[in-house]
Amino acid sequence: MLCLRSPAGRAVNWASCGQRRTKMYYGPRRPRGPLPRTPWTVRGPPPGAKLPWYLQKVPPVREQVPELDTVTYEGKMYRVPWLAKPRRQQWERGWHDPRFDGPRPGALPSHKERPCYICQQLTRLLEGVKQALWLTKTKRIDGLPQQILSLMTDTANQLENQDERVQNAISHARFWVSSEEEIMEETYCPVLLEDLLHLCTTMAAKHPLLAKRMVARDFRVAATWERESILLQVRGINGKLLNAVNPLEPVASKDEILTTENDVLETLYPIAPTIDLQEVNIYETRNDTGFQLGYPYPHPHTIYFAHGDKYHRMQPEQLRAKMLMFAFGNALAKARVLYGDKPRVLEKPIVVQSVGTDGQRFQFMVFQLNTTDLDPSHGVKNLVWIDADQLLYEKARHRPQIRKKVVTIPAGIHGYQPDTFKKFLAFYLHGVV
Amino acid sequence: MAVHSLIRSFGALLLSSSPRVSQITVPPKPNCPWQFHAYCNISTSAVLSTSNPMWKCQIKYTTRPIGMKKTGGRDHTGRISVHGIGGGHKQRYRMIDFRRMHYQEGKEQDSFEEKVMQVRYDPCRSADIALVAGENRKRWIIATENMKAGDIIKTSTQIGRMAVLAKEGDAYPLGALPVGTLINNLESHPGKGAQYIRAAGTCGILLRKVNGTAIIQLPSKRQMEVLETCIATVGRVSNVEHNRRIIGKAGRNRWLGKRPQSGLWHRKGGWAGRKIKPLPPMKSYVNLPTAATRV
Repeated sequence: MLCLRSPAGRAVNWASCGQRRTKMYYGPRRPRGPLPRTPWTVRGPPPGAKLPWYLQKVPPVREQVPELDTVTYEGKMYRVPWLAKPRRQQWERGWHDPRFDGPRPGALPSHKERPCYICQQLTRLLEGVKQALWLTKTKRIDGLPQQILSLMTDTANQLENQDERVQNAISHARFWVSSEEEIMEETYCPVLLEDLLHLCTTMAAKHPLLAKRMVARDFRVAATWERESILLQVRGINGKLLNAVNPLEPVASKDEILTTENDVLETLYPIAPTIDLQEVNIYETRNDTGFQLGYPYPHPHTIYFAHGDKYHRMQPEQLRAKMLMFAFGNALAKARVLYGDKPRVLEKPIVVQSVGTDGQRFQFMVFQLNTTDLDPSHGVKNLVWIDADQLLYEKARHRPQIRKKVVTIPAGIHGYQPDTFKKFLAFYLHGVV
Repeated sequence: MAVHSLIRSFGALLLSSSPRVSQITVPPKPNCPWQFHAYCNISTSAVLSTSNPMWKCQIKYTTRPIGMKKTGGRDHTGRISVHGIGGGHKQRYRMIDFRRMHYQEGKEQDSFEEKVMQVRYDPCRSADIALVAGENRKRWIIATENMKAGDIIKTSTQIGRMAVLAKEGDAYPLGALPVGTLINNLESHPGKGAQYIRAAGTCGILLRKVNGTAIIQLPSKRQMEVLETCIATVGRVSNVEHNRRIIGKAGRNRWLGKRPQSGLWHRKGGWAGRKIKPLPPMKSYVNLPTAATRV
């Protein structure tokens, strides 16, 4: 009984000491140094008003005599409430350790006053293609160019049993690639792209020039340009790049290029065109295709974006904007190698295609870089042909739908659309046939 | 055995040469939560689930949703402060910028425009919220009734001689608005941030403007007097059908994080029945001395 009572007794003694001598108070721990600036979303106090009660210190009972503070409980090595809290000096290392202190502000050689706006592979542009068009000074044309359409409709440019083989590829990606019940998008999307590219390479028997191609992955492109005195960059790893020995011929004729002078770029008011781009002060202004000079396949042909990662999921609009930015970046880096850094209208425009997919719908894009004089909004513009949201199939069912013991919808691929693969193949064959 | 004795002898040596272990004062072991805090000066007092009470105080504004922890009605001391809260669907907090005239750093404009990108549901409040973008910034605000994606809304601080013809969703100082305008998201002090008329479907009425102040009728029919430089949004708050929705069953209230009432029988007292009482007097936020003058 005594044992049971004793802790309770202690508690009563402690509570009945009358005055609150501790400096402890309820509420969140008061941060050291100046208080963090509370955002106005939390009902913060108006400027000059009192802090909320839990952030105010309880007025201590002890007299505030500065001489009293000289007697501290430091020597006791434990807290004594009626003695002052020992003031510890802030320990300083005495030298600058970059491991813990970080680089000195402004010490890095690449630190610059002027900010640079960077587009990289995870950038999701808020306004989508419209914003990318402004940033790259490009005119948009819906639909595909005539060269691609004629390649697409020509039956000579088709595989044997094309539809069957494409459906097999879809089945492989959606059903056969693993034994799991549900195959995630990040699995089947790259697999489908690989399979379709493999089907395309089998055309090399007909067109031997197709063998002189190379697919590169994880290359880093860097392109820097100025747009209305905003410094912009496209940096980093992007999709798979199909390189070729010979460059693609310009898609639009000279007259068409000259007519783009009259076009007016759409402004994004009231939004700034650099919204959602990464703003940095530590950067290098580089132009780099990502390949060494003697690379035997120097010309970018097509960039393939296999989209699919649940953490970095993009809306189709954002994917299209990213495809446009990177097609432009690759073309600009190539143009800087060929024609130098001076802004000018290119004699022979550079064409880069890009294809993006989320495993079901395909985005096709042909980009033609006409000019590297990007700073002013007037003058010759670049051109892009966009064919958006082409479904390869409508639905891939893992299980049949059964109603009253009758299979209403069988498992498998539904709504296969052969035109989409024809476009895919035409993009691949472009420049060879 | 030999090793053991060796250790013993070393121990004796140590004890003799160094201060006795019992002499070194060990900090008292905490025996109740209060003392524990006094001892280690960390406020883990509150419920463990709300381990970081400063989670709302992060300085950098972001439009990304922030994970929240359930409080279960407990405050930071760990005691129940609100009964009948607990459980429910997981919710995430989106930082709402209640200060509508919150210009970007370095740019002090009189007025600016923003574009509505998205209007969506918010679990933390009854009204809908809207994502607006202007210049290089995105932020969440409370949506008004007819706000939709693609709209362009204006925010201004100018008070002209003429009352403005305001569209719904625009924000103006009360002095610039015509008398009789429906307003929402009202602030009590200029620049403080909206604290009044934020619930779904509510609106206040600008009754009159008297030398530098404005008198507003709140949704509770009470009147309030604020400075005319206080900014309010024009129109009615979104999600007008909020009070007409049908909960349907007890379980849906649990989804919303509300727990049932106690079930104990209570004698009906003064709280029951119709009450007739006069409206409270007008609340004035105009001539209140500021904290600086009080101290």
